[in-house]
Amino acid sequence: MAKTKPPEGSRRGLFWATGAFGAGVLLNVDRVPSWVPVAALVLVFWRVMAGSRSLRLPGAVIRTLLALLLVAGVMLRFHTLNGLSAGTALLILMGSVKLLETRAQRDQFIVVAAAVFLLVAACLDRQGLVRAPLYLLHAWLCCAALAVIAYVPTASALASSLASSTAQVGLDNRAAMLLAGRSLLFALPLAVMLFVFFPRLPGAFWAIPRSDAALTGLGDSMSPGSIAQLTNSYEVAFRAHFDGPPPPPQELYWRGPVLHEFDGFTWRRTAHSFAHMQPLQYLGTEYRYRIALEPSAQRWWFSLDTATGSPVPKVYFTFDYQLISAEPVTEGTNYALVSYTHTRAMQPLAQLARRYDTGLSGERNPRSRALAVKLRSSAASDDAYVASVLDLFRTGGFEYTLTPPRLGFDSVDDFLFNTRLGFCGHYASAFVLMMRAAGIPARVVTGYLGGEWNPIGHYFVVRQSDAHSWAEVWLDDRGWTRIDPTAVVAPERLRRGILDILPNAVSAPARFVWSQPWLGGLLQRWDALNTAWNDRVIKFNYGDQLRLLQQFGFKSPGARELGWAFGAGLVGWMLWIAWHVGRGAPRSRPDKLARAYTALCKKLGRAGVTRESHQGPLAFAGEVSRHRPDLPADVQHLLLRYAQLRYGRTEGESYLADVRDFEREVSRLALRARASETPRR
Amino acid sequence: MNAAAAIDIDSAALHRAVSTLETLILGKPAQVRLCLACLLARGHLLIEDVPGVGKTTLAHALAHVLGLAWQRVQFTSDLLPADIIGVSVFDRAGQQFHFRQGPIFTQLLLADEVNRASPRTQSALLEAMEERQISADVTTYRLPEPFFVVATQNPHEQLGTFALPESQLDRFLMRVTLGYPDAAHERELLRSGERREMLPQIASALTPEAVIRIQARVRTVYVSDAVLDYAQALIARTRDRTDLKLGLSPRAGQGLIRAAQAWTYLADRNAVLPDDIQAVLAAVVSHRLEYSAEAAARIGRTGSGGDGHAIANELIRAVPVPV
Repeated sequence: MAKTKPPEGSRRGLFWATGAFGAGVLLNVDRVPSWVPVAALVLVFWRVMAGSRSLRLPGAVIRTLLALLLVAGVMLRFHTLNGLSAGTALLILMGSVKLLETRAQRDQFIVVAAAVFLLVAACLDRQGLVRAPLYLLHAWLCCAALAVIAYVPTASALASSLASSTAQVGLDNRAAMLLAGRSLLFALPLAVMLFVFFPRLPGAFWAIPRSDAALTGLGDSMSPGSIAQLTNSYEVAFRAHFDGPPPPPQELYWRGPVLHEFDGFTWRRTAHSFAHMQPLQYLGTEYRYRIALEPSAQRWWFSLDTATGSPVPKVYFTFDYQLISAEPVTEGTNYALVSYTHTRAMQPLAQLARRYDTGLSGERNPRSRALAVKLRSSAASDDAYVASVLDLFRTGGFEYTLTPPRLGFDSVDDFLFNTRLGFCGHYASAFVLMMRAAGIPARVVTGYLGGEWNPIGHYFVVRQSDAHSWAEVWLDDRGWTRIDPTAVVAPERLRRGILDILPNAVSAPARFVWSQPWLGGLLQRWDALNTAWNDRVIKFNYGDQLRLLQQFGFKSPGARELGWAFGAGLVGWMLWIAWHVGRGAPRSRPDKLARAYTALCKKLGRAGVTRESHQGPLAFAGEVSRHRPDLPADVQHLLLRYAQLRYGRTEGESYLADVRDFEREVSRLALRARASETPRR
Repeated sequence: MNAAAAIDIDSAALHRAVSTLETLILGKPAQVRLCLACLLARGHLLIEDVPGVGKTTLAHALAHVLGLAWQRVQFTSDLLPADIIGVSVFDRAGQQFHFRQGPIFTQLLLADEVNRASPRTQSALLEAMEERQISADVTTYRLPEPFFVVATQNPHEQLGTFALPESQLDRFLMRVTLGYPDAAHERELLRSGERREMLPQIASALTPEAVIRIQARVRTVYVSDAVLDYAQALIARTRDRTDLKLGLSPRAGQGLIRAAQAWTYLADRNAVLPDDIQAVLAAVVSHRLEYSAEAAARIGRTGSGGDGHAIANELIRAVPVPV
């Protein structure tokens, strides 16, 4: 039984499809388990070798088994076929298997479609500035592959290849790239319009949760050593952009989780809010700023200490002045805040809160508690007691280090009386314990200190290495007061980043960047560019769309206005395309030469010889000489020149000049109607 | 310098060939040129007319003037493929078979009255025309270069003929009809006697090498987009018309362009004009176009060929020349 076979795909089509698919795999290579691209590479290699006949393509049974095996592999690794990573891995593997049965043109289209889906998967996952050109390049490659596969030679191309006796009838690589590039350029306005006007759902709907994302950031507890792990990381926690002048460096405390509960070793957040918020009197300068938060998988939104409220309803402003979101931060988020660095409480501390924040469970750290009681009894006031504890840190032989020795079960006792080596966490922990032991309400605040000023973008970059913790004590005349015991031990920590103080604490690449000023400057520039890209392009949202419409003169824009703007843009784009297609169509409008020839025919028509529409120039010239032999020879010359200009080769610089010349001579030509006889035709 | 000189010599020889042919075939200058153009475009030629108007003389004259080695095969109903292609004979001395090449191994084959042979023989010839090679036993033999078939046939209505099917007619680039001479030329013919006897006294104008050179040059004659538009419009018109059995095939379109290039070359011009397309159109398409049965009945035609010229002329008048 002869089956009708689909059209055979060309070998060049196969190579292009394979290339597009391979590039799509490369885009996703670091997001899937490493055996996936390796398997894809092997299958691609198999197909290419089979193309050159040194290897055979597998039969249907082997292909099916292979596909099942690979699906099983994905299932084994991810336990699901859903989700971005598992889906991408599956797409890569199945696309590679598809390559093995790619023979017809239709199969090649499917492979290119798989490549396009790989591009979409990569876009969903990462939208960084570095990757944007890569994505663009890949889109171009895919389009060129489609052009090569789908190309059907036109009649004139066939004829010219016949005339020049070249065997190859097809789109060469250069022409394919050009065609694809041109098509993409035509599509560009549409893409821009979709980007600007197509209504966006609030919150990016493409944000698919990433299960396997291992992100660093502050947790909801602090034990000795936990922050030191963070300071190893050069990753960005957030960027802060102040509307006015920024606060001085010693006030750049970025407030994060506030920790109340202490078990002798680890500080934890309280599970429930046991107090209501103390109303604050705001003092000093008001700071307005925007924060661009990086994804952290935590629920903390950071603010300059102390913020005045929550920027959006879904973020809760706790009684201890912390911003906690209802959902974990899984994608970059922008928000605007107002903060004051100096505040004063307007009410006394509630009994419950006082009891809670002076509570110490059990009998842990007895020596520290005894010391606290002794110091408090010799101090005249709470203020004096705070000063004396800070004095202890300053003069007691304490040193600031990011690699402290391990602490024992009673961590504060061990630290205060034995090791005396530690960083912010140790000092804050010990300080708060000393306060609580003396009956003064105190708590640990974690967050970040300082940040790197980017002079190009005018913002602070706060990295994980800026993680910090400090103490807050309740002083009756001022309310909650920030005391940073670390500042006493290492005062320069306030003014400079952790890198300046302890360069060996961070990883080698970060240290290298920090040691090369030019590289640092370059990275700052790059960071500024990236931030602009993130703010203007990636985080462009519904609100930004409406603001843009307002600039176009809409009073109170909404989704309907967006629709109108999009519709208008679409019509404009289609008109542009139509105009362009019309312009490109051969002879859709008479050109200069045709107009001149028509004029010449009209003159001859008045002189008695009318050109029939099916008469070529030679036939017409014959007609003219038959019926009006008396006309000047110029007429015959002109007709022959027209034939040469219209049907001869048009390359050559003089062509346009010749056409103009022809035009001039036609307009100069004056013919007399035949006097003796009435016009014949 | 040399190439230019060669071109001059070749084109002078070509003109000599044209004028020689015109003295041999009286009163048919257009047909003579069409036949030459067909061969220069590497096409096979079919000459069709009633007996006795000089078909065979024309074919002989062409072979002679072009200076080609030629063979003549008179087709009859009992002619076998082996009579044309050749046959393997047993060589007793060498104890093996030898292929003895048939008359087709020549540069110009005169296939006289091609429609008298059985379809089997016809198709053997027509296959060789397309492939320009012969397969016998296990060996493939290239036919010489250049290779032309000039076939003559009587109109289908004649007794004892097997009409060539459309697919085989398509292999002929042109079909040329001669028609009766006008009175003055007929008088000349009656006076001077048998034209074929004049052939041996006339020197051939061209050589096989010159023919190949000219064929190559014909392909370089420029075909502008405007002319291609016109040719395409003509072809599209045949496909749009409902009163035709079949539209023109792409092969017919290619042939049309090639024939027009050759015609242009014969006229000493270097770019094809719509006039050139029109000049060769009837010869190229007339054997490929036929009225459909209903249309033929409606306008009172037999529907069995011979209408091609009328259809071609209708085409020319219906499709405007692009300005």
